[in-house]
Amino acid sequence: MAELLFFVAATGAIAGAIGVIALQNPFYSVLSLVGHLLSLAALFLLLRAEFIAAAQVVVYAGAVMVLYVFVVAYVGGAEPQIRPFAPGLRRLSVLFGAVILIELWIALLGTGLKAVDGEGAPFDPAFGTPAQLGEALLTKFLLPFELASLLLLVAAVGAVVLARRRRGTDLEHDDGDAVSVIDALRPAGTGTMKEGVSGLPDVGGEPPGSHPKGTTRPEIAAGAGDREHEGGW
Amino acid sequence: MSADALMLARVDLVEAWWVQILKALIIFFIALQILPAVIIMERKLMGRMQMRYGPNRVGPFGALQPMAEIVKFALKQDSRPRTAIGLLYVLAPAISILTAVSAFAIVPFGDAVDIFGAKVGLYGIDVSIGVLYVFAFGAIAFYGLMLGGWASGSKYSFLGAMRSAAQLISYEVSQGLALVGVLMTAQTLSLTGIVQAQEGMWYIVPQFVGFIVFMVAGFAETNRAPFDLPEADAELVQGYMTEYGGTKMVAFLFAEYLNMLTVSLLAVTFFLGGWQLPFGIDPPTWVDPLVVLGKLYLFVFFFIWVRATLPRLRYDQLMSLGWKILLPLATLNALVTAIVVVVVDNN
Repeated sequence: MAELLFFVAATGAIAGAIGVIALQNPFYSVLSLVGHLLSLAALFLLLRAEFIAAAQVVVYAGAVMVLYVFVVAYVGGAEPQIRPFAPGLRRLSVLFGAVILIELWIALLGTGLKAVDGEGAPFDPAFGTPAQLGEALLTKFLLPFELASLLLLVAAVGAVVLARRRRGTDLEHDDGDAVSVIDALRPAGTGTMKEGVSGLPDVGGEPPGSHPKGTTRPEIAAGAGDREHEGGW
Repeated sequence: MSADALMLARVDLVEAWWVQILKALIIFFIALQILPAVIIMERKLMGRMQMRYGPNRVGPFGALQPMAEIVKFALKQDSRPRTAIGLLYVLAPAISILTAVSAFAIVPFGDAVDIFGAKVGLYGIDVSIGVLYVFAFGAIAFYGLMLGGWASGSKYSFLGAMRSAAQLISYEVSQGLALVGVLMTAQTLSLTGIVQAQEGMWYIVPQFVGFIVFMVAGFAETNRAPFDLPEADAELVQGYMTEYGGTKMVAFLFAEYLNMLTVSLLAVTFFLGGWQLPFGIDPPTWVDPLVVLGKLYLFVFFFIWVRATLPRLRYDQLMSLGWKILLPLATLNALVTAIVVVVVDNN
């Protein structure tokens, strides 16, 4: 049973990995990567590392790959063909591939083959449980654990900062103050995302649409200057 | 085939392989039987709440309506849009239903009991990673919706899938964090262990904030009203399942209702003391599953009640609620619980 599962999962993992680079459509590449990650989770299960398996599925298949799928489904369809490589890159890729191949062979011949005849590492029944994993992370590996979380925090803050500058790289000349024609024609309170988030601008008691045609609406003239800088959704 | 060979994950109770297969079948059939009851209950209750009768033509009191409908769905012609992608289009409902049934396996209906001399747990599986198991399957279930929407080759389906993607990611975080408080209080990940730890006081009392966050996020995770934006019928026809019909659509609906049951049962397990009754009432063990089902009924009623009461949120409101209110609340809850647990343990 375990052997059968191993070969199914291993085949799935290898096929998924090949699919990622061989498939033309980026959406299928991403799906193939998901399949690869799920197969890896099955291999972790066979090694009695349930927590790692679950974390693998929740974090990679559930969060990271979801965002990949999201982006590829939105923008990937427009250009299914990957652009042809620059000639220099192709030669460089062969070189790097050869280096990695040699390195893997050294690792495999050097140490990996010795384990084939052995019984494998001794198995402690409590090894890999969430309790033991948590204890190890918070005692023995406290510093790397905290450093990693700090790194993730910095990355998250960086992402927020970059996303706020989405309109343009120049913060001094943010065009958030610009008023579009649609804004001028649209009665206040008719449901833009911005109104939903930051509430209605003060319209001075007059219901929308009550201005006769052709006159300037006071809230547009007055409000254009003091709009919030970061409103956009 | 020994039990050990079948055992992929570390479990607290090792059973014979035929017991495991039997249990899997029984749990699947129970879920299959509860669902029509839930559906007829939803339609009848919503009817009453909206001053109408609800279905009352097929069978006594209209109780056979789901039966008639499943026959209707099964006999429908199988059609698909010309733009659909064949294999993925068929695979998507299968993923949805597979993950929904798998997640259902973790719900404990009772403790391990002696049946004809063999020790049998009244649950599918009690894994050491506990609720992470449900989240793992929830992560895979997402691909059912996503592939369904994408492979249909229709813009309504696609937009529905995209909405559900953003919604599921946003609320999964709060849902998971809301349970951290419970896990810290119970000091175990095992679901039966959590139920046993609630003897004396259910966690809905000390973990009330966690309960609220979990339920709100649960509504969003199961795409139920008022968070049913992925299939907002006024804008998106039927969301990711717009192009589906016949038994494939039934599979999606089945998975959706099953997810609702799983979330309800998890709430029962984590916050309402599972199979335990309050005030020291200790019934014989065969009553335990019925107690769980009774509590499940309360939650299902609540889900239906909310659907009939609250209007749908707008998309930006949905995102603000998830990220600006629920996530800080859940984090704060986990932080306060951690401090309290440490203080209590040191005294």
